[in-house]
Amino acid sequence: MTSDGSLRVKNLTKTFQVAVKQPGLSGAFRFLFKKEVKTVHAVQDISFEVGRGELVGFLGPNGAGKTTTLKILSGLLYPTEGEVEVMGHVPWKREKDFQMNFSMVMGQRTQLWWDLPARETLVLNQKIFEIPENVFQERRAQIIELLALENLMDIPVKKLSLGERMKAELACAILHHPKVLLLDEPTLGLDLVMQKKLRHFIRDYNRETGSTILLTSHNMADVEELCDRVIIIDGGRILYDGQLDKIVERYAPDKLITLTSSAPLDINGLRSLGRVITHNGTSAEIEVPRNQVSGVMGRLLAQVPVVDLAIEELPIEEIIRRVFLHK
Amino acid sequence: MSKYWAVFSLSVQQQFYHRASFFLERLRSIIVIIVFFAFWSAVFEGRDHLLGYSRSQMFTYILGMNILRALVYSDKTWELMYEINTGKISSYLMRPISYVGFCLSRDAADKSTQLVSAVLEVVVALWIIKIPLYFPAHPAALLGFILALGLAVTLYFLMSYCVASLAFWTSESAGPRFCFELFLEFSSGAFFPLDVLPRVLLTVFSVLPFASLLYFPLNVFLERIEGVYFWRGIGIQIFWIALFAWAARKLWKKGLKDYGAEGG
Repeated sequence: MTSDGSLRVKNLTKTFQVAVKQPGLSGAFRFLFKKEVKTVHAVQDISFEVGRGELVGFLGPNGAGKTTTLKILSGLLYPTEGEVEVMGHVPWKREKDFQMNFSMVMGQRTQLWWDLPARETLVLNQKIFEIPENVFQERRAQIIELLALENLMDIPVKKLSLGERMKAELACAILHHPKVLLLDEPTLGLDLVMQKKLRHFIRDYNRETGSTILLTSHNMADVEELCDRVIIIDGGRILYDGQLDKIVERYAPDKLITLTSSAPLDINGLRSLGRVITHNGTSAEIEVPRNQVSGVMGRLLAQVPVVDLAIEELPIEEIIRRVFLHK
Repeated sequence: MSKYWAVFSLSVQQQFYHRASFFLERLRSIIVIIVFFAFWSAVFEGRDHLLGYSRSQMFTYILGMNILRALVYSDKTWELMYEINTGKISSYLMRPISYVGFCLSRDAADKSTQLVSAVLEVVVALWIIKIPLYFPAHPAALLGFILALGLAVTLYFLMSYCVASLAFWTSESAGPRFCFELFLEFSSGAFFPLDVLPRVLLTVFSVLPFASLLYFPLNVFLERIEGVYFWRGIGIQIFWIALFAWAARKLWKKGLKDYGAEGG
């Protein structure tokens, strides 16, 4: 057992008992006396490992089991079955050595004290994580600068905007330089500029400290920019675990050709070249198998007065959607 | 230790942030004191003793109750239940800090500010209306009072910690909590001395944990409970402390195991 920043999950299963209520008033009345429960399999027999310093994207639709897995990794939930090890520790034992090197940020949760400025929560975390005063001063200054928090530190947290709060949240979460950092939807509800800043910060933190980061997001830009490796989960099972660019080859055998012509395009002519995705007078999008791209291009240029042309990979959202359809 | 001090400090700051409710609370207490004073003045009209209390003992009971309630009953159990229901408790469970320690520090902050204000309220009330006060003649009574009070504070914390744990299993903790508080105030002697009750009820209530919280320590101060009865009261307090400490441990262990870490 090493105490590095690695994660190991083996045959993990988690089931919940959830109370269900029949619809309407009569249902509510019945609920008052008799609670019916339903068993929900949040996570079913999943296994994966993450090595030290990796930045892995954890993807899946709502209710796929992502957050449940993160909560088990953080020690908040006990698994129904299976083994979990984080930095050589069993998370739900909540050992001090584990907690001192761990952190999790949940998009909709806050560890900040609502009525007080974020500065105070930083001080609290300094004490909780036993960070010496000089180290604390140095790190705080660095974090404030990197996240541009200077003018926000003295404002009560509840007066901050969502994006500002998220930055403050992240600042508090990494003050103790955790070796393992779990991020649940870190860019949720943020504008594009703020998303970008936050992503840069996460990437730099990963590179500079060599910490292990597992990140969930519905925002594909997060994943594309940050993660080399992705784990895709749905219905509590792992559908894919591997390099992000391999997924493209495996699930997206086609490329996307976008073209604009100076004359109206003939739809039937286009259909003979590949799958027409959109067609709008003089412009169109066609999907063409990877190995036929050069042949199709030759025919296109010979038949159509092309004004503009682009060959691209399918958008990552589309590829992930196909992974889910394939299962 | 410094982490718990930081929690204490932040909690005090948090309370001062809600200035309006803080000052309204003070106003409410002063009005309650004056109303009780008016009521008992009318009852004592034309007599010196009632229910075994002298006039000064009764008024000391009323004013002392204000201070004791601040010390014993000030807590953050509401917030604790809210944190369990909304999942905010997660952020503490993940950090290397003892949650009991966290709650104790937060309660201590509440008790400190409430105590200072309660003392000020009593001073203001004494300044507005002249109230005869009773002080124990023997220093032993004062020592006994301090011991009983310390045990009362401990017992109340354990009781409320048990009640708070119910939030692990039900998201509607307001109901049970409200009943608990109402019964608590009544049966601990916060509204009136328990001596107004029929003999049988008084006997029953004196062995229940509630009387140990306010009625018992205050009567030790007033030198109405002495000797064997004093030690019997201390014994009852220790018995309930042991029971609730055991229950709190069990409930929290089970609760954290069943905890759904809701939200998100």
